[in-house]
Amino acid sequence: MFKAEIKSETLKGLVSIISTLIDEVKFTVNSDGMSLKAVDPAHVAMIELNIGAKAFESYSATETEIGVDLDKVKSVIKLAGPGETIIMEQDEGQGRLVFKIGNITRRMNLIDTSCMNDPKVPQLTLSANIGILVDQLQKGIRAAESISDHIALKADSEGFELSCEGDTDFASLRVEKAALESLKADSKVCSLYPLEYFSNLIKAIPSGTIVNIELDDDYPVKLVFKLANGESTVSYFLAPRIESD
Amino acid sequence: MGVNLSGLTEFKTIELSDLCGKTVAIDAYNTIYQFLSIIRQPDGNPLNDKNGRITSHLSGILYRTSNLIAQGIEPSFVFDGKPNVLKKATLDKRKDIRDKATIEWETAKEEGDIKKAFSKAQQTSRMTPEIRTSAKELIDYLGLPIIDAPSDGEAQAAYMCKKGDVYASASQDFDSILFGAPTLVRNLTITGRRKIPGKEQYRDVKTELINSQEFFDSLDITREQLVDVCILMGTDFNPGINGIGPKKGLKLIKENGDLEHALHTIGEEIPEYQDIRDIFLNSTYSDDYDLKPKNIDRDAVIEMMKGYDFSQDRIENTLNKIEDSRKANIAKKKQRSLDSWF
Repeated sequence: MFKAEIKSETLKGLVSIISTLIDEVKFTVNSDGMSLKAVDPAHVAMIELNIGAKAFESYSATETEIGVDLDKVKSVIKLAGPGETIIMEQDEGQGRLVFKIGNITRRMNLIDTSCMNDPKVPQLTLSANIGILVDQLQKGIRAAESISDHIALKADSEGFELSCEGDTDFASLRVEKAALESLKADSKVCSLYPLEYFSNLIKAIPSGTIVNIELDDDYPVKLVFKLANGESTVSYFLAPRIESD
Repeated sequence: MGVNLSGLTEFKTIELSDLCGKTVAIDAYNTIYQFLSIIRQPDGNPLNDKNGRITSHLSGILYRTSNLIAQGIEPSFVFDGKPNVLKKATLDKRKDIRDKATIEWETAKEEGDIKKAFSKAQQTSRMTPEIRTSAKELIDYLGLPIIDAPSDGEAQAAYMCKKGDVYASASQDFDSILFGAPTLVRNLTITGRRKIPGKEQYRDVKTELINSQEFFDSLDITREQLVDVCILMGTDFNPGINGIGPKKGLKLIKENGDLEHALHTIGEEIPEYQDIRDIFLNSTYSDDYDLKPKNIDRDAVIEMMKGYDFSQDRIENTLNKIEDSRKANIAKKKQRSLDSWF
């Protein structure tokens, strides 16, 4: 059983983060909230999302799984005005999810989740840890775009750097320790990542959000941040590009 | 020509994109013949420059190879060396067919029978030293590896495939399987719509992927037994027994175990059979090859192709396409997946 009410902005924020990676997802639902683990088809990036019951205006559920096509959910969100509440209810008998927005009812078939397995979560111990406002990262990405298809994330004991080097051009954003929310980097670390994945994710994070970056040399990066007024946690893993063979 | 085993099973069709990131050794002669035969003007004349030199093969090599690279496939070209003496009869026969077809093509053209002219013209395709040299020159300028086989190109391709240096051997013939290639790709360079010879019909030509071991297993025979089946049917090295095709041959070998017993059963003889087995099972190959593609020599390609009256714009666009796809493919290779960290 699953029935919940959520602000359209909150739902939109959550959906836009997940849909940077994948459209068809399986939510695992219980009385405390919803969670999902999803990996993109190329296994380059992974998202782990926990949405606490408090992220919703009202929430009641027992253990169940809900498979949805996020493209359809997005079209539902478009039907809602700002500040409007969306009511979601699982119709177990029909295998459907029913959305109600004001006087609109929108029913959609659920996706069969029986062959959707949760991906494994990478086990990582990463040496550097940086807390930074997403607005800084968004600025860095704007500078990097159209220079190359990958970016470098670097950290040392003095600060954090995002840079991008193409065949002819170069751009970088350096944030000194004082301007960061937090920084722990004993030695210099650097890894390269595919710009498109990184940029799609960062652009989908609401302004003012603090992103925690865990980084190491030639390792996946782990980004952790909160959504839905801090009631939802996202962990995002992105595999590196390795220059040498 | 090689042996034709298509009647024995339905092969798995694939999309070119399924071969993304893979290297293939292309049977150069086989592919150039395909280009010479297919890439023609409506009356059957091959593509020519204004000096009358044939350019069908150059068009094929440039445009169709660029398609492969755009899909992330890295081709190398294996050229036949000295043909085995046993192949002489086949080569003579091919020459006879060509000579006959040349006369019939002329007649058809005079009579204004365009369809017949085209089909006859296709049979006149001939690998001249000039075609061989210009093909190699273009492949080399494109930076693609050329491998000179000591004898049969497919034997060399099979060897490189068995060693794991290339993912698959690419040819229209099935001989690669007999030579021991673990994987064969057919219709690599000629996908799309193709006319059925002699008919006003077209069929979709799909790329096929053949896993040799699965093929042997499906027939419930060994590679050695399949070689025996083909010797019964006839190969490039022997005419075979009249009236025996793939199905009958397969049945005979399975019932009798091997060629010797099968021949005894039907009261026939193939005097040179041991030599033919040797060609397939103990083939000659060379370790002298480098499969690393080089950079395109743009100026040389443009200069050469302009000399053959190709449009410079089109050549440049094609070269850009190759270079862009290469770059994207390299980036793809460098990108790791999260699977390494579970």
